[in-house]
Amino acid sequence: MFPTRALFGRSVWKGPNIVPLPLPRVFPPPVNTPPIRTTKRAATILPNFVGLRFAVHNGKTYVEIQVTEEMVGRKLGEYVATRKRFTYKQSKNK
Amino acid sequence: MVFILGVNFPERNLLKKSLETFFGIGNNSSGRLMSRFNIHPTCRVGELANKQVLDLTAVLSDMKIENDLRREVLNDIKRMKETGTYRGRRHALGLPVRGQRTRTQIKTPVKLNRMERRL
Repeated sequence: MFPTRALFGRSVWKGPNIVPLPLPRVFPPPVNTPPIRTTKRAATILPNFVGLRFAVHNGKTYVEIQVTEEMVGRKLGEYVATRKRFTYKQSKNK
Repeated sequence: MVFILGVNFPERNLLKKSLETFFGIGNNSSGRLMSRFNIHPTCRVGELANKQVLDLTAVLSDMKIENDLRREVLNDIKRMKETGTYRGRRHALGLPVRGQRTRTQIKTPVKLNRMERRL
């Protein structure tokens, strides 16, 4: 897993990683529109994503995030953790 | 003793080393600064002409160094924490940020990546 794709320099000639996502036709989308489900964690957050809700895959489930202005230029996957916090499980049979 | 940007440097010190004591100036930018004012690399602080000292101070005061730079770094970390990025979370937890292993040897991030980081 990459901690953040932003640390890996991407060639300028490629431009941002633009992934064809099913964006809503009208902005802002009407209330009660379901978040955009995607597994494309490496997709760059573009300025026209601001205010949208995404459900990004974390490897198991889809986690909802709300895109704000500060997230532009980062990747979708940076905001959704893929790892569980370690918890000690008490074993019954010793 | 010579004053450069409000800091007193002994005359026998190397100018290059003295410049590098500022946070945000390293080998590269100190070399550039000195070549910009035609100062040779092994120049001591005492050999500087008065005008050169003033020129250096003028340029240094325009650069983003010392506390301004420290504040910028802290703000960047704070922004990452607030937006909830993976890197921000690692900073808050005191764990390595750039994908290093955590099985052993994580003393430096434990020491540095605090909630209220001091530089």
